[in-house]
Amino acid sequence: MSHNFWGLLFVVMCLGGPAKAHPHVFVDARTGFIFGTDGQLEALRISWIYDEFTTLILFESLNLDQDGDGQFSDADRAAVIDGETNWDREYKGDVYLEVAGQDYPLGRPEAAAVTLENNQVEVSFDLPLSQSVRIEDTPAFLRLYDPVFFYAYTILPAIDPIDLPEGCQAQIVPFEPNAAENALQEKLTALGREEVPTQENVGRLFSDEVRLTCG
Amino acid sequence: MWLRFGIIVLCILATGAAAWSIVPWFDIRRWAAGEQHTFQNAMAGALRGIQAGDPKAVWTLCSATAAYGFFHALGPGHGKVLIGGAALASGATLKRLSILTVLSSLAQAATAIFLVGGLYFVLQIGSADLADLTEAWLAPASYAAIAAIGAVLVFRGARSWQKIGQTKQAAHDYCGHAHGPCVNDVATLTSTSDAVALIASIAMRPCTGALFVLVIAARFDAFAVGCLAVITMGLGTAAFNLTVATSGVAARRLAGLGARDRQGVQAISATLHLTGGVLIIAISIGMLLPYLG
Repeated sequence: MSHNFWGLLFVVMCLGGPAKAHPHVFVDARTGFIFGTDGQLEALRISWIYDEFTTLILFESLNLDQDGDGQFSDADRAAVIDGETNWDREYKGDVYLEVAGQDYPLGRPEAAAVTLENNQVEVSFDLPLSQSVRIEDTPAFLRLYDPVFFYAYTILPAIDPIDLPEGCQAQIVPFEPNAAENALQEKLTALGREEVPTQENVGRLFSDEVRLTCG
Repeated sequence: MWLRFGIIVLCILATGAAAWSIVPWFDIRRWAAGEQHTFQNAMAGALRGIQAGDPKAVWTLCSATAAYGFFHALGPGHGKVLIGGAALASGATLKRLSILTVLSSLAQAATAIFLVGGLYFVLQIGSADLADLTEAWLAPASYAAIAAIGAVLVFRGARSWQKIGQTKQAAHDYCGHAHGPCVNDVATLTSTSDAVALIASIAMRPCTGALFVLVIAARFDAFAVGCLAVITMGLGTAAFNLTVATSGVAARRLAGLGARDRQGVQAISATLHLTGGVLIIAISIGMLLPYLG
């Protein structure tokens, strides 16, 4: 068997990865970009609105609303924030920022808040960049996805958007099946010439993204 | 013999690829995920209704879980891989396969009920840990068991091919009047032990959604309602998987049309075993890969 055959098999299996699992948790997400006064991108604002079923699971697993009044107490809010933003080191919060074609390292959540509306829990927080960065010619991409697709993220427009610096624009690019198929096709064609691609590049083919351009 | 083998495999692959390419998988998946989302919300609403003591909520919940089971099954999952592959390879009738499909879905529901009944009530293990247990241990164990069944199919197919070769050399001596052994050798799923292995490997891994329904129902002091809802969810899953079993059997029949004599039937059956087995192994190992990394 040639290298190409194994490479192809590997890609097919990996591509099966994000697409094969069943989503169990549906998350409507809203995003924002926070710039400093010097015009550099400093942090991301992320908010996750969980579906009603997942909200019930959260009530059960964190033993929330013990008085049964349908409202969160301060202790409930603290429990949700701890569970949602106190991540393991390996977990990246399913948030991926690409600056100048590279994965950009992010810090840990700050300024977290939680609300309960229409039977849905919403968690929001800021995610600082490890270092502020100027967005120049190449657009930056913000993608939210779970590599194993247990969580299905849909990016919605922000309700009250954070102002962007002069000349910057953020645009939501919803996941397009055809785009993913074309990208997959390109990957498979490229495989004849190149090495086996890394798996982490695959999940993003299937995600919504926010495209940030400046200048 | 090898020419015939090659032609059969090529025909199967070509038909499969053609069928695969005309189906808009991405669109179907997106639509299915959307429907699943809708019914998941309906389940949540019904569960809140049960908490509030609305008697009609039981029916809402059961219809929502049945629909959820159906749409959840639309994604490519472990049970379908095995049922589809086995339907392609096995000598089992559609009726028998249908019974196996329904039983495996019900057994999967039973696993969820036993897990929650045992671990949640007796050992007080929380829902998050239950889901972790399922994802971290039961899912890969189930994929491994399914891959093993795929390997058995390949082994049977290969052995049968070898026998066909031997038979030719032995000038029809031992196959001529003894119809049984040669054909039955490769007829998978007609025995009870095969059926049990198939059901067990699927049932080993319960649906996480079923676990959650049970746990939430338990919190609302309605575990029995949760059990009923999970059983209807299993029936919804079975309803979809039946279409997979039917397609597998249809594909097998189609392939069988090419056979002119008994040896042809055997050759096709052996080839279907190899094809079905390799498919099952490839897909289940693909599912296992993330756990091995």
